[in-house]
Amino acid sequence: MQNTTANLLQSTRNAPVLPVYGDGSMWQQMSDALHQSFYRVMMLLIGVLPGILALFVALVAFTLGGALISWIVRRCLTWVKFDQRLAQKTGTEWTPSSSPTELAGRFSFWACVVLGLVIGISAFDTAYATGTPLPISLLPYFTRAVGAILLLIAGILIARFLGRSVLISAVNAQLQYARILSLGVKWLVLVLTAAMVLDHLQVGGNIVELAFGILFGGIVLTLALAVGLGSRDLVSRSLESHVEHASPTAFIPEDRTAASKTIRHF
Amino acid sequence: MATANPIPDSAATTDVPVAELLIVLAASTPPEQIEEALANLAQAFTADSVIVAAPDGFGAHVSTPLRVVPAPRSDTGWTLKPTDFINAFEIGRKHESRAVLILGPGSSSLNPNVLRAMADSVFNASTDLVLPHYALPPNSGLINSAILYPLTRALFAASPRFPLAIDLGLSMRMTELLATAAQRFSTPGKEDALLWPVNEAVAAGFSVEEIDAGPREIPQPANVDISAILALVTGSLFGDIEAKAAVWQRPRRSSNGHRPDSSASSVGSPEDVAHMVEAFRLAYTNLSEIWSLVLPPQSMLALKRFSKVDANVFRMPESLWARIVYDFLIAYRLRTINRGHLMGALIPLYLAWVAGHINVTASGTAPDRHIEEVAAAFEVDKPYLVARWRWPDRFNA
Repeated sequence: MQNTTANLLQSTRNAPVLPVYGDGSMWQQMSDALHQSFYRVMMLLIGVLPGILALFVALVAFTLGGALISWIVRRCLTWVKFDQRLAQKTGTEWTPSSSPTELAGRFSFWACVVLGLVIGISAFDTAYATGTPLPISLLPYFTRAVGAILLLIAGILIARFLGRSVLISAVNAQLQYARILSLGVKWLVLVLTAAMVLDHLQVGGNIVELAFGILFGGIVLTLALAVGLGSRDLVSRSLESHVEHASPTAFIPEDRTAASKTIRHF
Repeated sequence: MATANPIPDSAATTDVPVAELLIVLAASTPPEQIEEALANLAQAFTADSVIVAAPDGFGAHVSTPLRVVPAPRSDTGWTLKPTDFINAFEIGRKHESRAVLILGPGSSSLNPNVLRAMADSVFNASTDLVLPHYALPPNSGLINSAILYPLTRALFAASPRFPLAIDLGLSMRMTELLATAAQRFSTPGKEDALLWPVNEAVAAGFSVEEIDAGPREIPQPANVDISAILALVTGSLFGDIEAKAAVWQRPRRSSNGHRPDSSASSVGSPEDVAHMVEAFRLAYTNLSEIWSLVLPPQSMLALKRFSKVDANVFRMPESLWARIVYDFLIAYRLRTINRGHLMGALIPLYLAWVAGHINVTASGTAPDRHIEEVAAAFEVDKPYLVARWRWPDRFNA
């Protein structure tokens, strides 16, 4: 015990001498560190604030401008009776919510909003790059977030579309596991989308790729096992029923069985 | 009897013969059927009264007393295509015809008297559009019975039993109208588009007449997949109804319909019913989420009830079927869901209607009587369609 205490005192004597501020107390050092940190963050905010302000100003200004342009476009097209003229030419009638005038108005509005967003982000990007010598790891994600959100929206839409397509086709083919199949396809696309979004945000690096590979492969393997092994009886029953009952020419075009000859849909 | 003359080559024709009646054999008529069709026509018409336009290149060995001119050929199609109407108008104008008879594939199975009656109707009764009323077996043309006929009758107040008939008698102005309408579909990729002569005639204020045509062989599509047929035919009719909304929303006097054939006969077998009801139940389990985007809660509740009914007593009420078709039509217009998905989601419901139709006919009701009841239900429910067409959001409120 005495040896240990003696060693500790010896090591303390040999340690480098730390700088002493003011009265040299620990509280003073901590306070200075906090002040310096606060100063750095404030400098960073002052550096990026113009960019953030430019982003919001551009967005608000272009949104207001878009609303104005949209209103003018609508009024002009209504005044020249664009919908009626187009309907006479093409012989098509539109719903009030999707008339050409309404679509043109919406398009001009959203084009302005997107333009404002792009200009704002560009201004923010420039201000951030030139005005802030200090790196903050979260800020770059802000500019990439727009692309990531677009990717996410597109992925969700595609997943829903493919899921429904598979579900309806499988139900009309009288597959008992139609919902599983549909969910599998939907989640495959969603997992792919999530991986693409994270990759776009540069979050996770190799972990995302690895996790995506495992998840994607897992879903495919699960589907294969579910259909091929787990639902073997179900599949064979479904296929047998498909062949035996193939009514009304409806389910197996090639199979013109006796049942299929009894009813002609057309 | 006129002397037989071989079919002239298209290049060999120098002078333009003139005839009041032009008969056009559809471009998709198979070559082996053309000789039979010409023989049938020769029994109905004299050689100097008609000119027949037959698809080009079916061989010069065929002899016929009729004057035959070549027309463009198409190898695809089981019904009349837009190009048939364009060709008919151009050839009719060239030969200064007053009326046109367009005959689809398999027209040799029509009685020559029917052909004569169709031509007479255009000439003597000054009718613009003459459609045949085929006497088909009760198990045929079920899409027509379930959707095409009731919708056309309810919306356009026109009673032709086969709105998509493949044999038509047309006045020259009706031919021109159809040729003009067909121009919309002359672009590549729209070769499969269908034209709806009855709707066009009603929209133009032209007269429409139907004559009994007796039995006829109806050519079937090469691809007998119900998904493809239903999507093509029903989607095309929905599209045409959407384009002519201003026409059918005007108040019209309901048509009298037909006097139904009272002879009872079974449409299908109990196995067919069981299979279709099973398909409907499977669809109810899986597609109810999609159906609920299109159908109101009352219809969903009714479908839920029917999904538990035994196959042998299964029957879809006429009013429910009419409401379902109208709601799908509204969804088609509003693009509530993708139109391909919409048509796919309609298939199990259509099969449920067919199952109910088979059960109804098996219980002793004549198929024609049931179809007339369905058409009457569509007429009764038309105000619902008009209201939702004009104020679609009312359903969501």
